[in-house]
Amino acid sequence: MRSSITVFFILLHLLLCFVWSAAKKIHDEDFSEFDDFDEDEFVTEAPFPSGASQLPSKTQSNQPDQTKSEALSQPSMSKTTEQTTHDGVTIDDDDDLMFDEEEFEATDLFSSSSTPDFKIAEVPANLTGNRWESYHCEAIMILVLLSYLINFLIGRSKNARLAATIYNSQRDLLERKFSLVGDNGQTQTTKSTDEQTDNDVVSNNMHKESESLYVLWCSGRTLLDSMLIEIRFIKRQCLFNSLAALIKSINDMIIYTIDYSKDDMETFVFCLAKKRSAVKLHRDMNDLSQFCSERKNAEKHSLSGNYQILSEIGEISNVIIDSRVGDFINKFPDALEYIHISDQYTGMKIQNDNQQSSSSQPSNNGTTVGANGVSATQQQDALNLSERSVRRVLIVAFNLIPSNDRSLQITAETVINDYSRFVLNLADRVSLYRFASKELKAKTSKNRQRIEEQFLKNVNQQRQEQAQQRREEKRRAEKEKIMQSDDPDKQRKWEEKEHKREMKRRQPKMKQMKIKSM
Amino acid sequence: MSDNRRTFRIHRFRPALITQVDDALPDYMNLMGMIFSMCSLMLKIKWCAWVAIFAALVGFANSRSSDDAKQVLSSFMLSISAVVVTYMQNPAPMTIPFMQ
Repeated sequence: MRSSITVFFILLHLLLCFVWSAAKKIHDEDFSEFDDFDEDEFVTEAPFPSGASQLPSKTQSNQPDQTKSEALSQPSMSKTTEQTTHDGVTIDDDDDLMFDEEEFEATDLFSSSSTPDFKIAEVPANLTGNRWESYHCEAIMILVLLSYLINFLIGRSKNARLAATIYNSQRDLLERKFSLVGDNGQTQTTKSTDEQTDNDVVSNNMHKESESLYVLWCSGRTLLDSMLIEIRFIKRQCLFNSLAALIKSINDMIIYTIDYSKDDMETFVFCLAKKRSAVKLHRDMNDLSQFCSERKNAEKHSLSGNYQILSEIGEISNVIIDSRVGDFINKFPDALEYIHISDQYTGMKIQNDNQQSSSSQPSNNGTTVGANGVSATQQQDALNLSERSVRRVLIVAFNLIPSNDRSLQITAETVINDYSRFVLNLADRVSLYRFASKELKAKTSKNRQRIEEQFLKNVNQQRQEQAQQRREEKRRAEKEKIMQSDDPDKQRKWEEKEHKREMKRRQPKMKQMKIKSM
Repeated sequence: MSDNRRTFRIHRFRPALITQVDDALPDYMNLMGMIFSMCSLMLKIKWCAWVAIFAALVGFANSRSSDDAKQVLSSFMLSISAVVVTYMQNPAPMTIPFMQ
């Protein structure tokens, strides 16, 4: 997050520099017109050498050049024709007057000596007859805008269609397993009877969080509190993102997050993930970085070398990775991205504060509170909590990749039921598992105690810092108040008081120094 | 097969439970749109106005449903008005620096 912000600000800074230089250039160009004008004046003042055959300067446009040369060539031609015509017939043409030698010379003299050589400035392209042709940059911009809009509409509808396919293909299964399927958290009250719940299900299906994120909430089942299905699509609605997806290998993802209550799950942290994800999760996830010290290869458990295991206790791996998991990975290679099981889930390191404040156990009475609303107030309360708010979760992430030359939609339709069954089976197994020996239990509780102590230490430190800050602010306000008042006695008294306080604070240190010197 | 559904264990959905992903693109786009609109209006640079329109569009396409629609709308209005005003002041075609 921080790195992206830094990169963004660097880019912004570069852009602003670019804008500044462009603006400066435009500004310079404005004045350069005046410079040109001065130069022109200087050129026109210089007298031309006399003579009718004086050629116009180079800066003149071609058109007047041609007309002038035509005008010059025409008299000679007409003159010769006049000479060859019959003497008796005289044609008093208006043009003949033009070819009178004296007049011609006179005009020549006039033009060469007194009149300045007019320069015809180039007419801006937009003011000429074909004005729309000069706006080619604007045309390109509008075309790109249109193509972005078209891509937006197509991408959005494709994502919506895929989400609907995924929902429809697993709806029956989920309705058989959960009492509530598809809650958006905004309906008035939780329906208690089956009939009312059915109505609720009909009215709500997939909840759209953004054009590329759809969520489905399922709850009301033994052994677990809730299951949240997040479908994270490629951002097809954004042209730049879909182009980036072509270059980088980004897949659509479907993430199942199952929340357990306190007694439904044993205390352990475990993760099976693809190598790339394992590195990322180990780095970013609070619980994994705190409880799992090393990453091990999953080849021991008859899985491909592509997977890695992060486990608090080694024995858990044998329990979680059984033949079903192996079969699933063999059946759908590359589909499983990671399995993350944790009783100490506090989210990612960056958003630690937000998660801690808002990720306590799901409320039982059905009150719904928006994420933004909660965070501000609860962030403040987080420091006052003597206990860490953790979630007990099972998170399973799958890649949605078109397989066997089938389209993504057909693949999603066929495989999604298998994914859901696999997750529900795993959820039940995690919930039913209990430690065989007391040693394991003691080991895990010791780990948790260590982390708890660390947390309390941090909280204490933060509280002290806050108290110190508050004290400083109070003193500053008091000082300002005293300084604003015009009474010098008051100010002097306050300064003396402050001085005494400072001396008092320093005194014990002085004593210590004396002891040291002795 | 036994029915594992339990209505008394129903919990309501909370948006806070969605895994937060670092996606601040719409916010950055809003900011960029505003800066470029201002640049184009004050310095009369046409391509800035066009970039502002693009920023507003990308911000709109990537916005979350929980985001304030008014912000997206105001970003659009500002960028479009920047284009209109710059072309009203000087109807000459746009020139892109370093590409002439």
